[in-house]
Amino acid sequence: MKINWDDLQSKSFYQATARERAYGMLDKDTFKELLGPRDKMTSPHLLILGEAVEFDDGITVGIGKIKKHPVFVVSQEGKFVGGALGEVNGAKMAYTLKLALKTYEKMKEKYGTVPDDRKPICIVSFDSGGVRLHEANAGLLMHSESMETIWELQNKVPYIAITGSTIGAYGAQGFVCLSADVVIANDFGRIGLTGPEVIQQEVGKDEFDASDRALIWRTMGARSKYILGDVDYLIKDTIGTFRDTIVNMVDEPMSKISKTRKVGSPQLVEENLEVVKLAAEKKIKDSKDLWKIYGNENVDEIPEMSQEKFLSVVKRRPRRH
Amino acid sequence: MIKSLIGKTDEAIQLIFDKDTFQENVIGNTRLDKDLAPPVMVGQAMIDGEVCSVLANNSKRPNPRFRVVYSGILGMEEAYKFSQAMYATIEADKERPKDKKRPIVLLIDTPGNSPGKIEEIVGMTKGTASYQFAIEDARLAGHPVIGLIIGRAVSGGFLCHGLLSDRILALPAEYGTIVHVMPTTSIAVITKIPLERLNELVKTNPVFASGAEYFYDLGGIDEMVKRPEDMRAAIIKSIKEVRALRKQGKEDQLGIWHRGVVGAERGGRQKRMEAIKKMQEEYEKMLPELI
Repeated sequence: MKINWDDLQSKSFYQATARERAYGMLDKDTFKELLGPRDKMTSPHLLILGEAVEFDDGITVGIGKIKKHPVFVVSQEGKFVGGALGEVNGAKMAYTLKLALKTYEKMKEKYGTVPDDRKPICIVSFDSGGVRLHEANAGLLMHSESMETIWELQNKVPYIAITGSTIGAYGAQGFVCLSADVVIANDFGRIGLTGPEVIQQEVGKDEFDASDRALIWRTMGARSKYILGDVDYLIKDTIGTFRDTIVNMVDEPMSKISKTRKVGSPQLVEENLEVVKLAAEKKIKDSKDLWKIYGNENVDEIPEMSQEKFLSVVKRRPRRH
Repeated sequence: MIKSLIGKTDEAIQLIFDKDTFQENVIGNTRLDKDLAPPVMVGQAMIDGEVCSVLANNSKRPNPRFRVVYSGILGMEEAYKFSQAMYATIEADKERPKDKKRPIVLLIDTPGNSPGKIEEIVGMTKGTASYQFAIEDARLAGHPVIGLIIGRAVSGGFLCHGLLSDRILALPAEYGTIVHVMPTTSIAVITKIPLERLNELVKTNPVFASGAEYFYDLGGIDEMVKRPEDMRAAIIKSIKEVRALRKQGKEDQLGIWHRGVVGAERGGRQKRMEAIKKMQEEYEKMLPELI
């Protein structure tokens, strides 16, 4: 199937497949898939269990270009086993990140320094619930491989995380997402560690009703994470808008792009811990309590207002580092 | 005769480190806040006459501020206190040469990260990510990081507290150790695959089975420690090995990526290796136009 790049630009990011997202965010017709469906590298474990398999194992990875930058893309497909990661798709994700690092090192070797306008870029489009339980042990180990590589990419290769698809970035993918230099989301974006059902089971339905969509949205959703400073860009839901946001930042020096990192230094440990202490001290019970602390008056309206309105009135957690 | 060390971290500390040398909340000149993260047991001790950092948790101490942090569950304060301990360790040895950095020993007995509402609002995710980055920072500085599973090493708890170590050791299942993402019974419910079938498949495929031995087959654990009495000697040996490999510049024989290679040698995660090899080949063909 031939993908029409121009048509993709106005398409809803939320409704797009993993392959469409990968393809549409890069410069026109530059995306080349690694270990694509034609290679038929399926999960041997799903097969043994008699489950359906996909030829790409539910992930699209590859390399393309944005301006002069080689861009390494991981795009998860939430429609296949919840986008969850196992041995094959997990290896595809972790090794794509590794290839970005290898490319940086090769450029450094060749040119001495890596110019700002040519440095490799890493983009992960999240749509996953975390570890694929059918092959849980391999999935767990894969997450650590990704985390170590993301740590290695720091101050070398910008790692841009995106959430705005059906599943969000959940389970262990939640922290893989927030380890990024920059996090971009549309209003469908969600980031969390524990799924709603498990929280309900743990704290009781009175405190957390997993069927209450508004509650889930304001707890894990993009607007709350934007107020907290976990999401850096809250944007409109088209592939073209995501692409434009990325295109506008890639030529910036690494030191500037990494200013929005959320983790990775003793200073950030202390800064994040302050929020934890504040939450305990003020005995917050709901996201709205935290929104109020950061200066938002109209907390009941925040979920309902248009994105434009929200962005014009919202007060965010001030950052020190 | 020890049957299990689950919830008995203090006993494990006695067995592993030089007699009565563990000082809680002390690392070099840093004094960690004793009121922060009550379940966390961090500090320094001597092992074989050498000072080391100990990062462990005491399942008997809940966190009064966070109701879902009990019985060994690691919450946000816990993850950040572990991170502080890592950075305090790096700070304590900043003047020492790379091959003389103090070892860091992680004692692992956790059923997971805190699945609470407040944790989702504030960000358990960032806590666990911070700790993982801090472990890598310590490894980069030259500290040998050894993880030892004495009890439960479950899912996100194991991901943040242990999996990124240079070397991971584990007591076998006969001492009650539990290593998995979730029990096979829960996997059966969620995947809707009959438990009997899963139990049958476990015999030939370690990929979803619960237990340290299965993780060993996949390369998730470097070495099994036969008995609790052997833990001390196993840690001392691992510290020496890690130092020797670092000195020879063989960093690639340590840590999580190396365990992927080890797993393939033991017959597990073959497809992972195959996928990586194929991607590398495709990448090399594309490389000239990339740089």
